[in-house]
Amino acid sequence: MGAALPLAGSVLSACGGDDDDDTPAATATTADAAEPTTDSSAGEATEEPAAEATEEPSSEATEPAAATESTGGTGEGNQGGMLIVMGHEGVDGLSPDYIGPTVNWACITQIHNALTEMDPWFEYQPTLAESYEISDDGTVYTFKLRPDVPFHDGEIFSAEDVQYTFAYYADPENAMTTGSRFVGIASVDAPDDLTVVVNLDAPNAAFLTKAGSSFIVPKHIHEPIGDAEYSTNPVGTGPFKLKSYDPASYVELEAFDDHFRGRPLLDGYRLNTVPEPSVRAIALETGEADSSVWSLNTDDNIRLRDSGDFYVSITSSTACNNFQINTTSDQFKDKVVRQAMMFALDRDTIVNDIWRGLAVKATTNLSPAVAYYHDDTDVMKYDYDPDKANQMLDEAGWTIGSDGIREKDGVKLQWQCGMISGDQARRPIVEAFQQWVTQIGCKFDIVESTAMTEDVRSNKLQMGMHNWTWGGSGGDPDATSVMHSDWSGVSLGTHYSNPEMDQLLEDGLAEPDPEKRKVIYKRVQEIFCEDVPILFVQYWDWFVFFTTRVKGLPEEPLLSGSQIYNTAWKMWIEEA
Amino acid sequence: MVSYIIRRLLQGVVVVFIITFFAFAILQAAPGDPIDLMLGEGNVQMSAEQRAAILHKWGMDRPWYEQYLTWLKNFVSGDLGESIVRRGSPVSGMIFSAAIPTLKLNLIAYVIAIIISIPAGMLAAIKRYSAYDSAVMVVASAGVALPVFWVALMSIIFFSLKLGWLPPFGSSGWKAYILPVLALSLNELALLTRMMRGTMLEVLEQDYVKTARSKGLSEYAVIVGHAVRNALLPIITILGVRAGFLISGSVVVESIFAWPGLGSLFLDSVNRFDFQVVQAIVVLLTVFVLLANILTDLLYAVIDPRIRLNK
Repeated sequence: MGAALPLAGSVLSACGGDDDDDTPAATATTADAAEPTTDSSAGEATEEPAAEATEEPSSEATEPAAATESTGGTGEGNQGGMLIVMGHEGVDGLSPDYIGPTVNWACITQIHNALTEMDPWFEYQPTLAESYEISDDGTVYTFKLRPDVPFHDGEIFSAEDVQYTFAYYADPENAMTTGSRFVGIASVDAPDDLTVVVNLDAPNAAFLTKAGSSFIVPKHIHEPIGDAEYSTNPVGTGPFKLKSYDPASYVELEAFDDHFRGRPLLDGYRLNTVPEPSVRAIALETGEADSSVWSLNTDDNIRLRDSGDFYVSITSSTACNNFQINTTSDQFKDKVVRQAMMFALDRDTIVNDIWRGLAVKATTNLSPAVAYYHDDTDVMKYDYDPDKANQMLDEAGWTIGSDGIREKDGVKLQWQCGMISGDQARRPIVEAFQQWVTQIGCKFDIVESTAMTEDVRSNKLQMGMHNWTWGGSGGDPDATSVMHSDWSGVSLGTHYSNPEMDQLLEDGLAEPDPEKRKVIYKRVQEIFCEDVPILFVQYWDWFVFFTTRVKGLPEEPLLSGSQIYNTAWKMWIEEA
Repeated sequence: MVSYIIRRLLQGVVVVFIITFFAFAILQAAPGDPIDLMLGEGNVQMSAEQRAAILHKWGMDRPWYEQYLTWLKNFVSGDLGESIVRRGSPVSGMIFSAAIPTLKLNLIAYVIAIIISIPAGMLAAIKRYSAYDSAVMVVASAGVALPVFWVALMSIIFFSLKLGWLPPFGSSGWKAYILPVLALSLNELALLTRMMRGTMLEVLEQDYVKTARSKGLSEYAVIVGHAVRNALLPIITILGVRAGFLISGSVVVESIFAWPGLGSLFLDSVNRFDFQVVQAIVVLLTVFVLLANILTDLLYAVIDPRIRLNK
């Protein structure tokens, strides 16, 4: 007898599995394996590039620039009310180990604090630390802690909690997903209750982005129960404490009266899980919810943006939409060929026509939202120019054969280009490029792959379309995990190798001075554009909406849209 | 009868194993794993060693058939395992708390579908070619043809956005039930109405109905005493089979209305490769469908004495 096995309808797979790695807040080099998102489809061009993170504040936020202060942000506004936000998937846990997915982070950041926290402009603000000093050689970070900061249970936060947190999450025994944030820490000393001295093995400019901004848990609670249990019943120093929680459907937090920056104006903060993006849009329109932590559909983004009924923030993703290349393949080992591909790639058409203007053209490996972004005066520009591409290939000795395909030393300029299976959103880009390369005597087949990165690494495919962060995660320009030759064949499949690049990336991490780092990463971007380890296409726009009853939102344009949820303690509700 | 039930149950056990095996294999073959998704979009990078340590912690560094056998062993001893995505939450608890909202929703939808469709279909057959019949058939055809997700989204747009009467999502309060129940029951309701009308028409043509009429029985007696019981037979079969479909439709509806049930949990777990949870739900749904089928057969025998199940 045949049993009718009910399987998940493919109907929803396009809306449910939008785990693309394209949040702006802090995009890691996560595998782009999930279903392509419907949050991003194609169409007409409407909007100016989001290079300057355009914003249409329809709310009248009356708290000017308070966002850059670290204390006493709760001076004005009504007390009361609940901020209701929505996520697209369940919140699996509330311990700091769960911060990966944005929906989790948007709750965990209300409950916990870190020594320093990133604001919506990628700046690290001292939070549990009052101040910090970095030694001249960049290996010692000394944090002066804020005194009299209570946890939700009334116990006072101290240096011991920092020591414990760092040690616990770094311990390989505990197999924490966030363990790598604490790599390279030699020791954590606590000379007194309010001083923490972190000694690093080597200078690490990304220290504040990682360990320095990791949420602190109370030793006296976390130690006896462990992270798994703690994740269902967290106790932090944050502005909101846990009231009730169902991982599948909601997280409800309530104001913590004794929060060290003052009680938040909101009485509560609630995240509802609403998987279907169009339902999230409707809920914003009906006022059922105030904001969506995870993106809506493109059509809804445009409609809500144009309605004038919302506070809108549009920021540029730090993940680059790109064609990954196997740079050791016969076709692409010569960088001239890769450069020619860039000239054959009409990125303006992709941004404006295929992506409806909801993206910004990539000009280097960094998004324009990142402070280290180099404003392309010295980088190769690659304006669409198929004639130039043809000329370059001619000069490099790739001659057009009888079948119209270029050839050199028995190698045809013909290859396999991968796409993540079912990636309907990005398919038009690949198809357009397929047309464009025929103008320069090249040809490729589109292959849907379920393990694209792996296939490019093994040269089964020579190219593949996806999104990946090439530096700029959390505002930090480090790109070691993708461009250093120790990593380029491991994390991604590019096998890209350039000794100068390796040296620069090492120097960049070891250099604590932001001004000196700017020089280093300018050079990184120049070499990137010269070497073309990937065909860099565009940075997608990220939309954040709030209903107008929510006040206390920053007025100046954001650089990181998601990071706005970290300022919920300054928001209040004002019914019309 | 008893030996028949035992045989069917044993067949069922085999089916459960085959299905869990394939469900496990398919999910293993799919690209990606829960660890990648734990990293999410956040500022987390992982070295190869760390990744290996986490895979080891969850036993995911072993070959998949070994993992399956471990799962099977635990399952047979009554242990559904732990969720990887929720870092060790017992699956049984997750399933239990998700099953209740799903059962509520599906039971209501199912009962409503039956209560409306059977009389509606019967009446349409009796009043064949009347205006009522045409109206019912138009509605029923549309109900069969319209996809569940479309009905769900349209009903949200109409009742939540335009009229503002009902919440667009959620599961608290009676109002929250209306739209999901509507979306979930519409297909069933339409299908059953058409079925009921069809079988009723067939039965009304039968000789014994004509005989009953020629005996001079009242129309009421003919229909209630002779026709309905026979017309219901095929409907019962369908009801059993459709119970399974209803649950699968629940995956779509729950996801759209953010209903915290098994459907939402299933989709979420598949998306995030939470193997243990997916396995448990697959088993649960398979058992449910099998039992519904067996029950249908038994009920069939009770209603129709001509059917003997001994063979």
